[in-house]
This record gives sequence, structure tokens and C-alpha cells, in this order.
Amino acid sequence: MNMIRLIAWREYMENVKTKGFWAGILIFPIIFTVMYFLQTMLSNSTPTRYYIFIDQSGEYGEAVETAIEREHQRRILGEFVSYLMDNRKESNLELSAAAGTNAADQLIDNADADQVAALDEWLESGGLNFALTMASPALKEDRAAFEQPSRQFIAADLPEGIDSSASPEAIAQALRPYLSGERKIVVDSRPGDLFALILIPANVDDDISRPGAMPQSPSGPTGIQYWARNLTDSRLPDAIISSINAEIRNREYIDLGVDNQIVRSVQRTRMPISQLDPTAAIGEEAVSVADTFRQLAPIGFVYLMFISLMQSVQYLLSNTIEEKSNRIIEVLLASVTAGELMMGKLLGIGLSGLTTIAVWLLSFFLFITLYQSSQTELISQILDVILSSELIPWFIFYYFAGYALYSGIFLAIGSLCNTLKEAQAMMMPMIMIQVIPLAMMVFVVRDPHNTIVRAMSWFPLFTPYLMMNRAAADPPLVDLVGTTIVLLLSIVFVLWLSGKVFRMGVLRTGQPPRLTELLRMLRHRN
Amino acid sequence: MVDSAVQSPSDSPSHSQEETTSHSVLSLKNVSKTYGEFTAVNDISLSIPKGSIYGFLGPNGAGKTTTIRMILDIIEPSSGSVSILGHSSALDVRNQIGYLPEEKGLYKKMKVWALIQYFAMLKGMKKHEAKTQAWHLLEKYGLKDFAEAKVETLSKGMSQKVQVLSAVAHEPELVILDEPFSGLDPVNQTVLEDLITDMARNGQTVIFSTHVMQHAERLCGHILLIAKGRKIFDGTVNEAKATIPRRVMLESEDDVSSLNSIEGVIEIGRDEELDVSDSAKQQWQLQISEQLNPQDILRSCFEKNISLSRFEFTEPSLHDVFVHLVGDDAKEHAFR
Repeated sequence: MNMIRLIAWREYMENVKTKGFWAGILIFPIIFTVMYFLQTMLSNSTPTRYYIFIDQSGEYGEAVETAIEREHQRRILGEFVSYLMDNRKESNLELSAAAGTNAADQLIDNADADQVAALDEWLESGGLNFALTMASPALKEDRAAFEQPSRQFIAADLPEGIDSSASPEAIAQALRPYLSGERKIVVDSRPGDLFALILIPANVDDDISRPGAMPQSPSGPTGIQYWARNLTDSRLPDAIISSINAEIRNREYIDLGVDNQIVRSVQRTRMPISQLDPTAAIGEEAVSVADTFRQLAPIGFVYLMFISLMQSVQYLLSNTIEEKSNRIIEVLLASVTAGELMMGKLLGIGLSGLTTIAVWLLSFFLFITLYQSSQTELISQILDVILSSELIPWFIFYYFAGYALYSGIFLAIGSLCNTLKEAQAMMMPMIMIQVIPLAMMVFVVRDPHNTIVRAMSWFPLFTPYLMMNRAAADPPLVDLVGTTIVLLLSIVFVLWLSGKVFRMGVLRTGQPPRLTELLRMLRHRN
Repeated sequence: MVDSAVQSPSDSPSHSQEETTSHSVLSLKNVSKTYGEFTAVNDISLSIPKGSIYGFLGPNGAGKTTTIRMILDIIEPSSGSVSILGHSSALDVRNQIGYLPEEKGLYKKMKVWALIQYFAMLKGMKKHEAKTQAWHLLEKYGLKDFAEAKVETLSKGMSQKVQVLSAVAHEPELVILDEPFSGLDPVNQTVLEDLITDMARNGQTVIFSTHVMQHAERLCGHILLIAKGRKIFDGTVNEAKATIPRRVMLESEDDVSSLNSIEGVIEIGRDEELDVSDSAKQQWQLQISEQLNPQDILRSCFEKNISLSRFEFTEPSLHDVFVHLVGDDAKEHAFR
């Protein structure tokens, strides 16, 4: 036991002392932090986009202008909501999910059916200034003032020498060099990039399609023409098209003699839904946001398990190969038994794996304590929910079980190879096997008692991942006890077998053996 | 340092000890190792007395390393038995054994002193003791300045010295060194020879393998000579030398063939290779028997009026013994 501890300690200390270890550990929180801030920065740094708008029909100018104003207000609204979240006095995640989802549903409904109306309502009720006044009692006193986002879409004048009454083809042709970035337009006597051209032909109303009409095979562009090189930023065309459609529908209502105020209220009539959990105590059945997170949390655990296991076995493998190719193994085996060496390595590397997880969690906590905002507050509340749930003991059990099982296998692989390259070829199938439960994790959370999932849980290499994945859904006792027994037996068997392979493998030189050779060697050793 | 170099095998501590105690620290009985069709070690028996310096000699691929691995129970013999420090497996007494494998390697990222300490601790030394011992050894063998360095920064020779120290730091009763001299420069070879004789003086038994005969000749009381897995010779160095005739070199302008009338002169031959071309002097080589005193030859030369410009009696070296006994095998191996 002393020797095992000594070997484990050395493995651990040597591992922890390397730069690579810390690079591997810190890369995760660093990337997380960078991503977090980068996302915020990028969304604030989109440049001003200049567009040219030509309305030959003379009917939609106002609609397009409102569309662009609405797009701007939408941004203000978005920023304002997160400003509210950041600066409100109290926060409580345990909102009833019904209220939460209803509010969310309402937004989605509104946006789908009548986004325009929702924004109009916000504008009509006084917009930002009104909202600020309304919200201020609920906000912290020491908050920073709200900064309005700058306008993203600004109309530019047609460059000189282009006639706005020319045919759409001619205008588009003349503006091509500007749209493709070859030439600059002049805005406020400064050069700028032309982002888009919105061109409404004179006879655009002919292209309005109505239900039941025969689809026409278009010979060239129909309807409004939106010219832009950037195909991914669809905010501008989306805003314009929904605004114009709202305008057209409005006219149709008027033509048909329908009061469009009635239509609006009808569209926004809705029925709420309450999500209730039958396993919860009476009176507490209402599903909270936290409950939902608890159900989804296993995905995170499975992922954490996979990353940490992969990292650990990687160390184990390269470490064994180092000792083997250096022939240190021979000295070691003259000092300790192969079993002691193996157990020492498993423990030492396992400890490094735990260190990794600990550092990750720690840096995560540091991040959310040091940098407080609405999002991180949400994360910390989710963490509270998860850490206080029954998932933690599950995770600890399956982490150790998975580690014992996989590290045993990888150690045996390492003992048979002389170079990392050889080992990588043999590792591939083992990694592929782990990818299967990983790929299933979202599905498993949604349908944890699926027959196929239940059957697959019995395969020991999948058990740690799949059972962890199902943990939040109270798997049947048969599954729980049965898979655990099978898993523990397999661990004993794998460690015993890899011990034998390890003893033989470590002193071997030359190519790794073929499977048949290996089996023969194992038989002979008996 | 000088002591050990001029020390003749006959007064080495091992020799004297061997006569007083017949206590054997290691014995092999009919040990063989086969890998499928190939026989790496074939029926080797030997017994190694306590406190001796024992050389395993043989050409490359003779089976030295395989024998050592079987002694250490790293691999099991196919047949035969090993008794080591009174046990049937080296694993039972592994804390009393120090081992330097043939292929040298260390943990590259560790500090030198920590590495020696670690290996000593694996052999059961207490942490503090092991650390003190590591620093003591590093100082004694001229590596103190590198104690804090990482192993990867050392030269090949230095890291080999470190490895030897890490193998013997726990002061084992039995030290087994596989090719300890390979890769060391002459100065460090002498340092290592000192280390080995120090250990023998200390009552430790040292077994080392080599194919460089000079080391064996200077250090060993006993040798085992193996080739192609078979034992060719096992005994004291003197016994080994007795297996080939003794020789006397003569240089003379006269004909020396009449010396063959002396009882004990087995053969007289011209050594044309050594002829000095621009003189009439010729080189002769006389093979003489064990019993013949070379002085008798000198006396005969005076009697027969043979004028000598050179008279040289040399004991055969282990090198001669080696070439004599395994020369053909070694050559065969060289071309394989």
C-alpha cells in the first residue's frame, strides 16, 4: 500500500508540475471567459450600415422608414431588458415556470403574429423614457445610466449621376460597384460602405401573392428587391418585409371593411399552460425553472465526465509509454509489483483528473462571484440548484466507476505500445465507443426510459454515461441496481485483465501485438 | 582510484571473502528461457558468493540481460530455479536488491536529487533518509552541482551516473548492473569502478555484465562467460586465464627454435606481424605450460647463447580468454 501511495504521489506531483497540465486545465476557463466577453463585445461593435432606399411605387416609403425605426427600437428594447436584469434590486429564479414560459410564449407569439404591433405598443406607450420612469423604483439606486445603442441602419443618398426614376435593372447595374465594395458612397461628406439597396419597383403591387392564387413562375426578381453582399445579417430585410406585409394586410382589412384593431386583439388572445410535476409534493407541483434545469443538468455532468476522463486517460497513456520507452519500467518492476505500479498510476492520474475538475469549478465560481451580471447570476443560481440536488453523489460514483473502467483499458493499451502514435491507433475504437453515449445525451434526457436507452445502459462501457444521463429522471430500481452490479463486476474484470496485459506488455518491445497474439500470450501466462 | 586499477584479482576483497565463506547470495540451477523456437538462455547454473564482484561476460545477444531479468524475476524462467538472498523470487527481497537495466532511462522532468530519493523510497527507505542519502551520493561522486537540475539537462554520461546512484542509493545487499560502463568516458568509467569496489568493500555483492574485458579484469573475482545462451565458463579470473596457454614474447636476431627442448614449451611460432621491417630482428612467440617458470626460458637463452633484445612474459588477458573461448560465436553474431 505504501508503494502504491508513493507511486501515486509521484505521478500526481510530476503531472501537476508540468506546464502542459495547467495549460490543459486553464484553457477551459480562459476560453469560457473570452467567449463570454467576446460575445458581448461583438454584438456591440457591429459597424453602422448604410443603405439606399428607392421607392418607385411611392407607396411604401413610410412603411420602410417605420421598419428601420422599429429595428432600432427593438435593439433599444433588448438592451433595456438586460439593463433591467442587471440593475434590478432582487432576483429570484424560482419563478413559476408557468409564468416564465407564458411570458416567453407571449413574446414569441407576438413576434410571430404581430411583432410590429408589439414594438408599436412599446413606442406608443412612450418608449424608452417612459419605461425607465416606470422601472426605476425596482432598480438599484447606484445603477449606471442607461446608454442607448447607436443606430445601426442609416439611409444614404443616391450617388450623383444615378437617376432614381430609371428602370430597376439600370439602377441596380449602376450601384453594383458600390454594393460590391469597389466604390464608396458619400455620407456626411465622408466615404462609407454601401451595405444594401432596397428597391421597390413601380408595379410592385402586381406581385402581391394571395392564398389560392396560382403560383407564378417568376421571370426575374419579383416584389421588393433587396440587394446586399452580406447574406447573413438578415435583420434589415426581415424588418422591412414584416413592416411592408403589415402595411399590405392593413390595406386589405380596410378594403374588406374589417376593423384592424379587432384583428390585432384577436391575434393576441391566448390560453396559458401550467406545467405540473406529478412526483412533487401536493401544493408544490408547479414546475419551476430550477426543476427544468435539474432535469437538464445531467447533460452537463456527462460532458464534464467525458472531457475529464479523456484528459486523464491521455496522461495515463503518455505516461506509461514514457516509462516504457525509457525502460524505467524495468527498474520499477524490480522495485514494486506490476499490480502496485498499475494501481499507483491509476490513483495518481485519477487524482490529477479530480484536480482538473476542482480547478474548473473553482474558476467558474470565481468568475461568477467576481463578475456579476444578470447572466452570471442566473448561472450561479443554476449551480446552486444543481449542487444541492441528488445528482452530485451520482456524478461522483459514475465518475470513479467510469475512470476505473476506462483507465484500466487505456493502461493496458499503453503497456502494449512503444510510441504515442501506435497508441493512438489503438485508442480510436475506445474513443468512438464513448462518443456514442455522448451523441445521445440530449435525446436521453428527453426520453430517459426509452427501451433502447434502457438496454444500452446495461453495456458497462456505456453505463457511467447513460445512467448519469438518466439520473435526474429516477430510473427504475432494476436498471439502477442491475447496471451497477454489472458495472462493478466489469471494473473488477477489466482491472484484473489489464493487470495481466500490463505485466506482459510493459516489458515487450517492438510492434504492439495483434489481438490473436495477445490472447495467446494471455493464455500462456496462465 | 589508483588502488582499484592496479589491484590484481587475487587480492580483491571478494576473493578473500570467498575463501572464508561459502555463503552464496545467488544461485541458478539449470535455468533456461525459451521464446517459442528460440532459446535465449540454455541451462545455466551458477552460484555467486557473498561480497564478490561477479562479471557476466559475453558477446552481444549472448543472453546476459535475459539471465539478469530472470534473476530479478522480471521474467520467469522456462525451466530451472533461482535462489536469491535465500528466497525463490527476487520480488520477496526486492528492497535488498539494486538494479541498473541495460537500456538507461530516467524521468526526464524530475530533479536529480528527487529522482534518487524516489527510487530509494521505492526500495523502502524513509523519505528523509532517502533525501540525505541522495545528497550524500551526489556530493561523493561529483554531481552535487547538478542536484537541483532536471534530468533532461544532463549529458548522457552524467544521467547514467545518476541512474547508477539511484540503483544503489538504498545500499542493497546485492547490486546488479547491466552494462554499467557503456556510454561512459574513461574518467567516469574509473569513478564507476571505484563505486563498485567501494560497495564490495562494504560487503555488498555486485554483479555486472559487460563485453569490455578490461573492466572485468580489473574488478572481478569471478566471471561467468556466456555465448548463445550457454555457459562457456564460470569461475575465478585466474581459472579463466588458465584455460588458454601462457605466452612468452622474444625478439632476437638468432634462431630460437632450439628452445623447444625445454620441458613445458608447447609451441614456438614466428610473429611476422610484429616484425620490424628494417632490421634483422625477429619476433617469436612461445606458448608455455602452466607449470613452466618463464625464468627457465631466460636461463636457457643464456645457456644457448641466444642474444635477446626483448623478453616479455605476459599473463593472458581476459580479452584473450574471451576471444579464445567465444571468438567464433561473437563473430557469427556480429554478422547476423
